[in-house]
Amino acid sequence: MAEIHLRNVSKRWGSFVGVKSFDLEIADAEFLVLLGPSGCGKTTTMRMIAGLEDLTEGEIRIGDKVVNDLTPKDRDVAMVFQSYGLYPTMTVYENIRFPLKVRKVPQVQHDEMVMRAAEMVELTDFLHRKPAALSGGQRQRVALARAIVRKPTVFLMDEPLSNLDAKLRVSTRAQIKNLHHELRTTTIYVTHDQIEAMTLADRVVVMNKGEVQQVGTPIDIYDNPANTFVAGFIGSPAMNLMEGTMTGGVFEGRNVRIPGFDGVRDGAVIVGFRAEDAALAETGEIAAPVYSMELLGDSSMATVQAGGTLVAIKAAKDFSAEIGAPVAASVPAAICHLFDPATGLRIAKGAA
Amino acid sequence: MSIAANRRSPLLQTFLGAFLILWLMVAAFPFLWTLWGSFKVEGDFFSKADWSNAIFGTLTEVETGAPFTLDGYYGAWVQEEFWRAALNTLIVVVSVVVISLTFGTLGGYALSRSPYRYAFWLLIIALMFRAMPPITLVSGYLLPFFQWNLWGHLPTTIIVLVAINQPFTLWMLTAFFRNIPKDLDESAMVDGCSQFQAFRHVIIPVMWPGVITTGLFSFLLAYNDFAVTAMLLSKENQTMVPKIASFLGTTQTKGNVMFAVASVVSVTAPLFVLVLFFQRQIVSGLTAGAVKG
Ligand SMILES: Nc1ncnc2c1ncn2[C@@H]1O[C@H](COP(=O)(O)OP(=O)(O)OP(=O)(O)O)[C@@H](O)[C@H]1O
Ligand SMILES: [Mg+2]
Repeated sequence: MAEIHLRNVSKRWGSFVGVKSFDLEIADAEFLVLLGPSGCGKTTTMRMIAGLEDLTEGEIRIGDKVVNDLTPKDRDVAMVFQSYGLYPTMTVYENIRFPLKVRKVPQVQHDEMVMRAAEMVELTDFLHRKPAALSGGQRQRVALARAIVRKPTVFLMDEPLSNLDAKLRVSTRAQIKNLHHELRTTTIYVTHDQIEAMTLADRVVVMNKGEVQQVGTPIDIYDNPANTFVAGFIGSPAMNLMEGTMTGGVFEGRNVRIPGFDGVRDGAVIVGFRAEDAALAETGEIAAPVYSMELLGDSSMATVQAGGTLVAIKAAKDFSAEIGAPVAASVPAAICHLFDPATGLRIAKGAA
Repeated sequence: MSIAANRRSPLLQTFLGAFLILWLMVAAFPFLWTLWGSFKVEGDFFSKADWSNAIFGTLTEVETGAPFTLDGYYGAWVQEEFWRAALNTLIVVVSVVVISLTFGTLGGYALSRSPYRYAFWLLIIALMFRAMPPITLVSGYLLPFFQWNLWGHLPTTIIVLVAINQPFTLWMLTAFFRNIPKDLDESAMVDGCSQFQAFRHVIIPVMWPGVITTGLFSFLLAYNDFAVTAMLLSKENQTMVPKIASFLGTTQTKGNVMFAVASVVSVTAPLFVLVLFFQRQIVSGLTAGAVKG
């Protein structure tokens, strides 16, 4: 049980910045999710915590120990590798058992612990196979079982579900959540699946190009994105971001005019809103011809051109319109988020 | 494999088969000839009158009363104490293989995982030493060895052979280790291994075919060596290959050539056993893909 402190942690290779001054306190028993597009430095951050990558700058503490100079084995972490890292000469059973063996867990407990971990990820039928004779999803589950077989101070999981099919992913996700609830082990979890992030996380860290964009609860990140990157990354579909100008509290852009932004400074601005917050209406702030229609199952999505971009608006599932037919949508100022086009940062409404 | 073979035309199939058989005969003939001849007397095997004597053993029958004789083997192994040479060879070969594999695996692992440039230069220098003919090294050593009274002993020869062999083992093993993904070391270390334990428990088992293959090459180098052993060993410490050469050198006494022939067969036989025994590891070691997880 331990909290983790990352202080100004950076990683550079030559002039290339992998992770840029990462500052974070992770509470004991917290489930933290690192979320971001491919190549943003999630794995690198995790490897630095595990001790597999040296820090260029900064300090990492686990509990009250500075671990910068500790080897991985002395940090007492368990990690699921993105590339599995299974031992090809050992059977699945021996793979899962390996951490118990090298960490000198009393022999008599091994079998029970291995079986418990294997059951949790539904691997009991494959225990005597070698990793080469497993599918990608099965290998990933072996990697997961090997991590959860013992009780480390910290769990590090690098996209542990990315190769599982939808059904298994949902059930394993639930198991991970339950496991965390049971063990209360501090967990850092990397994913680029937002649903995973939203369902599992106590807090989410959104990263881009090695930089932390926002840290917050899933709700917080969804409802109050700190900048246009987070707004455009979180949610499916992501937030609509329209460009235009603000004059006297009225936002205007192509095919769009939204009044009611009292007290907002004049000038260029980006206005964002979520597809599900808006509604199609007889008349509304957006009026434009339909660009495309998509049926999603429980609803449908109308796309129109507005504010220099394509804007998605959620509609009832029986709504249908010809492409090119004029529609209107009500987008009141209350559901809108404002961003500074120069910096991308959020502008508080009412203030500034 | 079998599917691809089935698709070949019967003509090509026949041709390939015939070629293989021919090639096998050509390749195996010298050995088979020597094997057959080693059970004859010199007059037959080196017959000036009729080469077919070597096959039918006319003189062998006259001299010993049977078409086959073990005289050559008896003379070499018992009379001339070839077993001593065999024992020396065993000592030299085992020591060379064990020492150069120990340093080779440890060093190769370190070099393959080293992020520094010096690893590359070390390997280049090793390669240069490997490229030199062994005799150049030996001639340089010879004088100091005499002066320090090191000449003639087995350990000296072992050290020189290891020195000649080490660059190659290092190269080969480094290449094998590079093929093993770093993830394996890393997951082992997170699972609780020190770097050495990761090497010992995780990497070496994966490396086994590579170690066997490299070990076999080291074995062959030490086993077949003539230049070093002939120059550095005294008569009583001789290994098998220089001993055979000395059988050939003293042709005044009849029968010594047959000792040489018999001991050539004795030297070759273990190689067959060895290759047969390790063939699976050798094949998978040479097709290094098998090393990957
Ligand atoms: N050893 C290295 N040398 C140089 N650059 C590296 C090295 N390792 C990683 N990088 C770079 O650092 C960046 C971050 O890599 P990282 O593996 O952390 O990404 P990630 O967020 O895990 O991406 P993904 O979701 O695709 O796994 C990438 O642009 C990568 O190319
Ligand atoms: Mg990654």
